[in-house]
Amino acid sequence: MTDYWLSKLFYDLQSPAATARWREDRTEILDSYPLSPEMRQAVLNDDIAAMAPHVNAYLLRFYCLVCNMEDTDFIAQLRAMKPEEEARNG
Amino acid sequence: MADLVGAFAASHAPLIAREWERLSPGAKATITESFDEMGRRLTALKPDVLVMLSPDHWVNFFLDNLPSFCIGVGPEHDGPPEPFVAAVFPHENLPGHAEFARHLVDTAFAERFDPAISYRVRLDHGFCIPLWRMGLEPVPAIVPIFVNELEQPMPGVARCFDWGRLIAAAVDSYPGDLRVAIIGSGGLSHSIGEPTMGDIDEPFDHACIDLFTHAGETEIATTLEDWLPRTGNGSHEVRSWVIAHAAMGGQGFDLIHYAPIPEIYVGCGFAEWKMAG
Repeated sequence: MTDYWLSKLFYDLQSPAATARWREDRTEILDSYPLSPEMRQAVLNDDIAAMAPHVNAYLLRFYCLVCNMEDTDFIAQLRAMKPEEEARNG
Repeated sequence: MADLVGAFAASHAPLIAREWERLSPGAKATITESFDEMGRRLTALKPDVLVMLSPDHWVNFFLDNLPSFCIGVGPEHDGPPEPFVAAVFPHENLPGHAEFARHLVDTAFAERFDPAISYRVRLDHGFCIPLWRMGLEPVPAIVPIFVNELEQPMPGVARCFDWGRLIAAAVDSYPGDLRVAIIGSGGLSHSIGEPTMGDIDEPFDHACIDLFTHAGETEIATTLEDWLPRTGNGSHEVRSWVIAHAAMGGQGFDLIHYAPIPEIYVGCGFAEWKMAG
């Protein structure tokens, strides 16, 4: 299920100014998005598996770039989800 | 009357720009030679207008307003918003062609299509990487058509065939003297931000190449509708190829080059469609 506000956060973070602010203080920006407590925590933890089902994959990719996450780490987290995804899809 | 002088397709992996200096010599050579050849062929056609088909990568549109098709009708467009693209393709603005774009919109409405329109769009890497790598200077006037190839629900493949024919009809009925070329930007297979990220589906890519070379409309549409949900999400960009294919009458597909390039996560395809006889 798409989470509008999580998606909006990632979309807004694409601007260089927002990226800089995010890297300085996540909580200040997070306070302006009405995320559920679970989703807010997922963001604070960079919990890819928790966020992925709720946001467009390209936005998730942008977000990981904003967070300076290495592709190898990002891909490893995504691949760790694979068995769950496959089980869910039968 | 305007003339449709050619149609091309090319991949637009952002890492081509973001990581250019770090790509292997082999990857650089493949990408350079393929785009150079496409640029040579396109330049030889002397286009006045490029109709470019690409998804919007969350630059102009968001979930609160997400058109399936949007035509950029302004006399100019904003250049690439991504810093890594602007660094290699430093165009603050890119030329549009308001008259042909408006004619395309009018033709669409007359033919019972309902595209969104925008008088000011930003052309992201989907547009600018092919323009940069082909070395088109000066850049011809661009009429961008954004196709939703990123977020479900997406337009069906059969509808993309309709759009290709619509573009051809608009060129045919344009009262001015223009040479129009089409570029379908995107594909072939890639997977971004999902558990299969980095995978390249070579059987899908070869199937696409074979389909555009030999198959009829129904077979292309049926095969793609069946396969697209089972391969990487970036593969949906093949819709841009379908539109170019249909605009050219679905004949004479000429593969310039195909190479799966894991460094940029994309099965890279470069192609030209010949004029229908």
